[in-house]
Amino acid sequence: MIKKLSLLMLNFYQKFLTILSYGSCRYHPTCSEYAKLQFEHNNILFAFYYSIIRILKCNQLFDGGFDYPCVKKDFTNIVFKKINVKYWYIPTKTNKNYLIIKDWEFKNGTTR
Amino acid sequence: MAQQDNPTNKQDTQKRILMATLLSFAFFIAYDFLYVQPQAIQQEQAAKIKELEAKSSGTATTNTVANTSTSNSSAPQVVSNVSGNTAPISSDIASSKIISSITTQNNIITIDALGRIAQVTLLQKKYVDEEGNQIKLFTPSQLKPLEVRFSNRTLNDEAFKTLTTASDATLNATTGAVKLTLTQKLSTLTVTKILTIHPKGNYDLDVIVPNGEAFFITPGFRPDVLADMYADHGALLTLNDGTLTIIEDEDLDKTTTFSGVQIASAFDRYYATVLYNTIDSLELSVMADSESNPQIFIHGKNKLELKGYAGPKNYNDLTTLDPKLSQVIEYGWFTFIAKPMFQMLQYIHSILGNWGWTIVFTTILIKAVLYPLAFKGMVSMNKLKELAPQVKKLQEKYKDDKQKSSMHMMELYKKEGANPMGGCLPILLQIPVFFAIYRVLLNAIELKGSEWIWWIEDLSLMDPYYVLPILMGATMFIQQKITPNQMQDEMQKKLFMMLPIIFTFFFLWFPAGLTLYWFMNNLFTVAQQYYVNTIFAKEKVKREKEHDEKSHNRANNKK
Repeated sequence: MIKKLSLLMLNFYQKFLTILSYGSCRYHPTCSEYAKLQFEHNNILFAFYYSIIRILKCNQLFDGGFDYPCVKKDFTNIVFKKINVKYWYIPTKTNKNYLIIKDWEFKNGTTR
Repeated sequence: MAQQDNPTNKQDTQKRILMATLLSFAFFIAYDFLYVQPQAIQQEQAAKIKELEAKSSGTATTNTVANTSTSNSSAPQVVSNVSGNTAPISSDIASSKIISSITTQNNIITIDALGRIAQVTLLQKKYVDEEGNQIKLFTPSQLKPLEVRFSNRTLNDEAFKTLTTASDATLNATTGAVKLTLTQKLSTLTVTKILTIHPKGNYDLDVIVPNGEAFFITPGFRPDVLADMYADHGALLTLNDGTLTIIEDEDLDKTTTFSGVQIASAFDRYYATVLYNTIDSLELSVMADSESNPQIFIHGKNKLELKGYAGPKNYNDLTTLDPKLSQVIEYGWFTFIAKPMFQMLQYIHSILGNWGWTIVFTTILIKAVLYPLAFKGMVSMNKLKELAPQVKKLQEKYKDDKQKSSMHMMELYKKEGANPMGGCLPILLQIPVFFAIYRVLLNAIELKGSEWIWWIEDLSLMDPYYVLPILMGATMFIQQKITPNQMQDEMQKKLFMMLPIIFTFFFLWFPAGLTLYWFMNNLFTVAQQYYVNTIFAKEKVKREKEHDEKSHNRANNKK
């Protein structure tokens, strides 16, 4: 529920309100994109926590740059077949923690 | 989001521009509506309890049934009966007759033949309406302050037909407090109101109703001088636990009872009529009139001691009466920033003595505090100007893929050790600060009738010649021009260029004080940017010169 609502608000922001704050984010992916990924992949509380931390860090006192969301994930029941890649899970040094990189070439089903 | 903007789909783009425009408008007002929701829930809950109580005591909520029970739980329904029938009829006979008139330093209070405050006329020079008349707070047809109603139906009917006598017809309270006794002799008991009116125009009130008869007294319907959509108006209660309840006009559908109330205020944008007792808290009911506007009725039995005030919500005046009274000035959501903001403005004003200059100075102050951050951002932004060709190449290459281009851009920034972006946090922080200033300037009576320079005669009203909004728009436009940005999306670019126009239009009817703030804010941003740009240009020249010299030297050495 909250997850869906948050994602809806984030999409809405990215579509319509982003011009008010255009080109201000110091990170890649942008704060809104980061938050979206967090809400898509993470526990809701963690998603809020990391998104807020990210926004707090998004100012002149921090360097900015690349900062991908990192989530804990347990891969079980892996089915091997040909798929469209939407996200890349990049394993980190910590066990079961993965960086998420969205595949920008992924076309959501039929659009374009 | 990679595919969010498809440049080939023109119609969609236009639709979005329209949507975004509308939404940016809606955004400004939306929080006012959002603000009401929590209270609506609260009211609903209270109403539910009320309903249960009504059922248990077996009384119907019809208007015609008189309820002679004096128990507290059924009392509010009686009040609603009373308002439905009795008050409008009686108001004709008694309200035209003035039995007493009290002059204080700040106002003239008149009392009608039912022992109610008929009118409060403000005497200070700045409180005049557009025709130059001194402002009168109340609308005669509305519920009047200090009207007493009874739970007992027959008693109530009698009370609205019986005239009140006053101890004095005219009183002068300009030099010291005066006492006025209002007595209403009913067949079974005598209602006594003892008013002590102070030179400032506030009053103490003791209401004595013998025989344990349950009665209600009201601070009256809110003043109706300036009640518009820009600021809240309605009823405000502060409770013992420090919470604030606001019931906006046209928003109340069921009578609600509150206990532990310290201050009960009915207010418009600048003025309020208040009854309070911050020591022994009050129990009261808020009841809807025919237009769902709240009317406050304080419950009383035997004797009720109150303090009252009807006049402008002027911070200093209110706090001298009682420090807690400053709570009746409400700024909505952002009170926690708005209140300190107001205190700062007030302090600066006490030094400068002019609200216009106070606003200008405050803007400078805010800019100065944020200067180090802004400077850093501007410098690194300028640094990147030199990378413009590379950036452009990247943009060309990833024209259709925003995220990808932003990724490559970030790579470039990293290589150059500069990040031109201001960050999301500063922008998000600006929003509450702006709203706080907006609410302060909108609600502060102190700004009323305060002039600035030349054509601005009242900072609380809109600029009559639209000079400030247009200047605001112009500076915003310049600011956009002078600030380097790499917006790539055509639709967003267009919309971005439209922003100054949208803002100008939006600010046309805003109070001049607020427009002044925004204009000054833009002006200083432009000045700052210009300053940084020149410094940078100079440095660039210097660097090039050094570079030239070096190569020159090298050339010489070779020789």
